Formats: sequence, C-alpha cells, structure tokens
Amino acid sequence: MSIIYVLIPIAMLFVAIAVWVFFWAVKSDQYEDLDREGINILFDEDIEVKQKDDK
Amino acid sequence: MASFKTTNNNCFHCGEPNPSDADFKVTIKGEIKQMCCPGCEAVAQTIVDSGLTSYYDHRSETAEKGATLVPEQLSQLAHYDLEQIQEEFIKQDADISEITLTVEGITCAACAWLIEKQLRQLSGLQFINVNTTLHRVVIRWNKTQLKLSSILTEIQKVGYKAYPFQINQQEALYSQQAKSYLRRLGLAGIATMQVMMFAIALYADLFTGMEEEFIHYFRWVSFILATPVLLYSAQPFYINAWRNIRNRTLGMDIPVSLALLGAFIASGYATVMGVGEVYFEAISMFTFLLLLGRLLELRARRKASETSSNLLRLLPSMAMLIEQDQETLIPAKTLTVGQIILVKAGETIPVDGTILTGISNIEESMLTGEHLPVHKGEHSPVFAGTVNITSPLTIRVDKLAQHSLISDIIHLQDSAQQNKPKIEVVADLVSRYFVGALLIVALCTYIGWYIIEPSQAFWTTLSVLVATCPCALSLATPTALTCATANLNKQGILIKQHHVLETLNKIEHMVFDKTGTLTHGDFVLLNSTVYGQYSKQQCIDLASQLEKVSEHPISLAFKKQQKHSVQLSEVINLPGQGLQASYQEQPLKLGHAQFCGITSPLNSKELVIYLTLNNQLLATFELGDTLRKSAHDISHYCQSNKIETTLLTGDISAKSEEVATLLGLDNVSKGVTPQGKLKHLQEIQQSQQVLMVGDGINDAPVLAGAHVSVALASGTDVAKNSADVILLGEDLNKIATLQKTAQKTTKIIKENLAWAIGYNLIIVPLAVTGHVPPYIAVLGMSFSSLIVVSNSLRLLK
Repeated sequence: MSIIYVLIPIAMLFVAIAVWVFFWAVKSDQYEDLDREGINILFDEDIEVKQKDDK
Repeated sequence: MASFKTTNNNCFHCGEPNPSDADFKVTIKGEIKQMCCPGCEAVAQTIVDSGLTSYYDHRSETAEKGATLVPEQLSQLAHYDLEQIQEEFIKQDADISEITLTVEGITCAACAWLIEKQLRQLSGLQFINVNTTLHRVVIRWNKTQLKLSSILTEIQKVGYKAYPFQINQQEALYSQQAKSYLRRLGLAGIATMQVMMFAIALYADLFTGMEEEFIHYFRWVSFILATPVLLYSAQPFYINAWRNIRNRTLGMDIPVSLALLGAFIASGYATVMGVGEVYFEAISMFTFLLLLGRLLELRARRKASETSSNLLRLLPSMAMLIEQDQETLIPAKTLTVGQIILVKAGETIPVDGTILTGISNIEESMLTGEHLPVHKGEHSPVFAGTVNITSPLTIRVDKLAQHSLISDIIHLQDSAQQNKPKIEVVADLVSRYFVGALLIVALCTYIGWYIIEPSQAFWTTLSVLVATCPCALSLATPTALTCATANLNKQGILIKQHHVLETLNKIEHMVFDKTGTLTHGDFVLLNSTVYGQYSKQQCIDLASQLEKVSEHPISLAFKKQQKHSVQLSEVINLPGQGLQASYQEQPLKLGHAQFCGITSPLNSKELVIYLTLNNQLLATFELGDTLRKSAHDISHYCQSNKIETTLLTGDISAKSEEVATLLGLDNVSKGVTPQGKLKHLQEIQQSQQVLMVGDGINDAPVLAGAHVSVALASGTDVAKNSADVILLGEDLNKIATLQKTAQKTTKIIKENLAWAIGYNLIIVPLAVTGHVPPYIAVLGMSFSSLIVVSNSLRLLK
C-alpha cells in the first residue's frame, strides 16, 4: 500500500497539468465558439487543384 | 450533411423560389444549378471559381439571398480606408491592423469555413477567425499590403455583409468575467473530482475501518487539492460579500463566504491537529455548483449584450468640404465650426448647421417622429442625422459633431438612466431576510452550545451554516432567470437587464411611440382612384417611372408596385412640388394639387398626390403609413389585461388620434419633444409602473427613464442602446410573450424559494441540535440544489 505515497503525488501532478492546459485553452479563446470545430474536419483542403484540372 | 433540399424550382444558393422568367445558372461540380437572381448567381460563381464548392456539401442551412455589388456601395466601403475613420474600430500595432467585424448571414459552420478560405487567398492577411455563435470575424492584416475595403468587398463577394461595429463596454466586461469564471469553474471541477475520490475512501472508513496513517494522508491530500478551490475559484463570493458588508446590506454571498471559509479553516485545523471532521469535498462541490450557476447566468447576459452590440454598426460619416471652390471628402468628425459643406440629395446631413444655398425637403423622422419631409430653404437650421431628400444644399457648420442635437439627446438619455426608478426585486428581499435570520440562528447556536458544551460549539455552528444550504437559495433566482432569458433569446427577444423579468409583472401602463413602432414607418400606397381611360396599373406604372428619379420616401411606395416600365422623356424633378415628364409627347405631371392645377382637391387625412396627362386628371394616389398587424394584437392584449395605454409621439398631425382610436388606446400625447416625452413619462411614473416601446432617437431618453423599456431591432442605435429589451423582427406580440414568460419566471422563482426555505425550516432545527452528520448535510444540499435547477429548467420549454 505504501506505493500510494508515490502514486498520489504523481496523480496530483497530472491534475496540475490538466488545470494548466485548461487555463491555456480558455486564454486562447477555444471556448468562444463551440458550434463550429466539430464540422471543420469535413471540409476538403485541396479541392481547388481538382477543380482547376476539370476545366 | 445537408438537412434541407433544394429543388429545381428553388434557387440552389438561397432556397427562394426561382422566378419563371429568370435564367441564372452556375455549374457546380459538373451539374447545372438554377439560381433566382444575378446576386445569387454571382456569389455562387465566386464560390465555384475559388474552389470552395465543399461549402454546398456541408452547409446545414441555405444561404442568404445574394446581393449584386453596386458601385455606390463599393465607393462607400472605400471610406473605411481613411485613417481618421479607422481610428474608431481598428487596433494598430506597427504595420499590423486588427479588426472585429460583425457579419450578417452566417448560418452554419460552412459559412465560417467559406469566409475564412475566401479571405486567406488575399496577400497581406495574417490571421482570420470566424465565430459562428457570435456572428463575428476577427481579422489581422498588414496594412501596407491590403486595404480594409478590399477585405469587406471580398466578404461581400461570397454573399455576406460585414460591418465594423461598436462593442459596448458592458460586453467587454462580460466577456472578461465569463473567461475568469470559466477558469475558476474548470479548476473547481477538476479539483472537486479528485477531492471526492479521496472523500469516498474516507467515507469507506466509517464502515470498514482504515489505518490511521492513511486517513491522515488522505486528509492532507484533500487539503492540498481544496486549497486552490477555496483561494482562487471562490474569490468572487468573498469579493461580493465584502462589497455587501461595506454597503451595509445583506446578500447571499455573506453566508456562502462564511460557510466556505469557516468549513475550510475548521477542516484545515482538523487536518493539521488530527482531530474532528473534514469537509473538503463538500466545500469544493459547493463552490463548483455555485460557480456553474453564476457562469450560466453570465453567459445568457453576455449573449444578449453581444447580439445587441452586433446591431450597433459603425457607418463612416463623411462630409464633402467646400474650400476655395474645391470639393474634398473628409470624415465628418474632423469638421470645424464655420466650414462649408455640400450635402447631395439622398445623403445624411453629418452635422448641425444652417443652409446657405439651396432649397430641399429634409426628413427628420429620426428626431421628431414625423414622417413627412420638412421643406427647408436658406437660413433654416438642419440637424445631424437627418436626411436631405430632394436637392443639394450647401451648409455652414454651426456645431461640432460631439455637440450636435443628437449628442444632446444622448446626454438627456444618460441623465434619465441615472434617475431610473428602481423596483425592489423579490429574490433580493427574501434572501436579505433569510440571510439575516440565518446569521442570527448561527450566532445563537454558537452561544447556546458554548454554554452547554464548549468543545462542540464550533462544529455545530459550522454544520448549521453548511446544512442550511444557501446553495439552493442562491441558485433559486439566477437559474430561473438564466433559463427564461435563454428561452426568450431563442424567440428573438433579447434581455439586456435581468431585472426586467421581475419588474414586467408589475407593469400597469404601456407607452408607445407611433412612427416606426406601432406603424411600419414607410409610405405605402393606400388607395388609388383612376379617372381617365388608363387602367389602375398603367397609372401606377406611369407614376412609378416618374418617381424613379426622386429620392423622396414617397417614391419607395411606388417602386414596389411597378410592373412594366414606361418610356418617358425629359423627366424633371421640381423639389417641393412634384415631377414632370413627357409621355407620348404630352406633358405628364405628378405632384400635389396646386402643381397639377387641380382646383377641387380630394378631402383626405392622408397625403394625396395627383397624376395628370395634358392637364387631364388620370389618377389620385393616397399615401400613408400603415399600422403593423401586431399593433392591434398588443392593444387587445393590454385591454384584456387592464393595462393602461398611451400614445406618445413627436408627430403633430391628426394621424395620431386616428391611430389611437383605431387601436383603442387610452391616452394620446402628440407633438412632444424628447424632453417633453421624458417629462410626460416621469409624471405617469409617479403613480404607475411603466413600460415604454420605441424606436427613434427621440425616444431614447424616455426609453432610458422608463421602468422597463423595449426597442425594436429596426430602430436607431441610440434607442437600442438605452432599452432593456430588444425585439428582433417587427412583431409587437413579442411584448405579450415577454410578459407571459416573466409571469412564469416569477412563479418558478417563488416555487424555488419556497422549496429552499421549506427545506431549511426542517434541517435547521436538526442542525442546531447537532443531529446532522456531514454526509447528510452534503446529500441534502445536492438534492435540494438539483430540485431547484430542474424546476428552473422547465422554463426552457
């Protein structure tokens, strides 16, 4: 059981990192627009090239 | 992805029906798609040419109808490039400019993608982010390579309209607060999860027993995890409590802070000394739940103020300066007293001044509410914000922009706002009494126990503070208000001030503005009578063709009615009189009776104009402003709810009485100045609670001074700024919806308060006598908060 004396501080370190990441996310406005990012991945980036070939 | 269908009969771009004779096509992904108008066609073509057809695959709504770009608009956009105009809305850092624009027509994520892709093709653009929730875009660009006007044009090309706008200060504050609350909430949430984990381990100790060493260790770990929650996350409660104490009032945050700090200090003491109980999980969760409520409330308020800022567009106000026969275009705010400017027909007069040369009709409805243009000649004063309708004027600047009549009205509005009567809000009252009682009970408990058993005094007092659960009570009002506000937002009713939902129940008197509020605010053709051999439509077509050269508001009434174009020559616009042309080599005249040589004019309350051909009367047209359909409904609503009604208008014509009789309004007060309106309102407010509905600049002071004020989204910025509620769309029935929701909200708040107080009445005696163990207190707290929150959620339906 004495392993928890090591594991719990490590877990707390992870908690601290999680909090730090969350603060960073808030600071960089990532919570400002929640409707959009889920759909963003659907858009093709390279359609422009294909279109030009068609013509 | 697409959740809608566009058939061949509807425009592929905007979804509106295609006119039968229209033939606008764009080839999209090898298929020919029909469009309804050249605007949509141009937008769709741009999208295809830029290789952005993915937009059509992934959009979840149809686009707005495209508008063709006209040269005048483009030159208007060019004004935005002037340094002096840009100062107002651009952040400058060396060569990099940053701007936030509000964009009309963003409906889904695909729009955001489309705009971003389109703009990224521009060289000199450094950063762009489109926010679909707020309908805004943030852009950073290098000003040596790119102009603001070309950015705006590029956005218009893909079918959206972007404007610089004024972020109101309140909103900037809200968004800062929302961010800080979100950080506090995140920290509290993450820490609470950890603390709860250890708390469950400690609860297990009650049943199975645990080695003393581990209990001690777990307590220390919980202590460390709960400390940032108490010191950082719970800060707003301490600050509010301190503010309350300094102002010598009682608020919910006082017992909240006492309970939090008391429990924390006691638990900390217990941890260090190894005695008593710890409450770390309770206080962390308590903080988390309270913060959640506050954040939701703040978000609803922020959303309302963001939407209302989006309505405050900044249009460049320019003036044509005349110096030594040279005309130069300069920003209106750089004008100085004594300078001479030229204002063309159809332009807005930028400053207060005096006419030097020219005669024209000036539309002052913005200031007076009266719709018919006023005839003005040399030496007449003109005011900033009014529109020069008929012919060019040279004007001497009398007052600087910041001292103009509009600025005076805004001053009046500010002072009215400060003197706005306050209505005591139920929740404040209840919580004040409750807090007072609670603090007294806690004190008595401490004294009582101190006499009987000093070692238990502190712990029992603490459990009284925790168990009485200020949580449910403090969530009772904000959650209900938040849900109601969110629901109203969805229906196009923006609440800017939260008190509105409670004060609305007490409204006994509604005051309405006339032009633009009860009526549409534009001229329409009410009645046309024909006398000659021409049909009604032919007469309307003739009149419309003539009116094409005119900027007068009357011409708009005709434009909508025209079906066929007619060949006219030598069209002359005689300001203040009428229009004249030659039709099939005969003189055609359109204007008032005298101008057309009519000896027996028609008797009508409306504006009558005559059409003659070769001095023979062809037709008479009656024009007027029509009532909104919803105006009848709202007056019925007032009558059936015994709410007194008053029409308060700047218009002096007999039309006001007619409107009042037609709608069955109780009182009429016409021809009043903005000051007069405010005075009238204050008189009514001596005895009654008043709701004011308005839209014009002249309504702004009254709106600011009324108990509750409602502005229409189509109204002026000044009016929207000073109102508590903004109605999107033109439906006055929303006022009734608003009041009904307000009544429901108050009912729910009362239920919530009753529950919270009832619960406390049961738990307090038990806690005082020392019968409430910590986990029961926590369970009771969570349970009663849950009930309150779910009750409030009913308002979302």
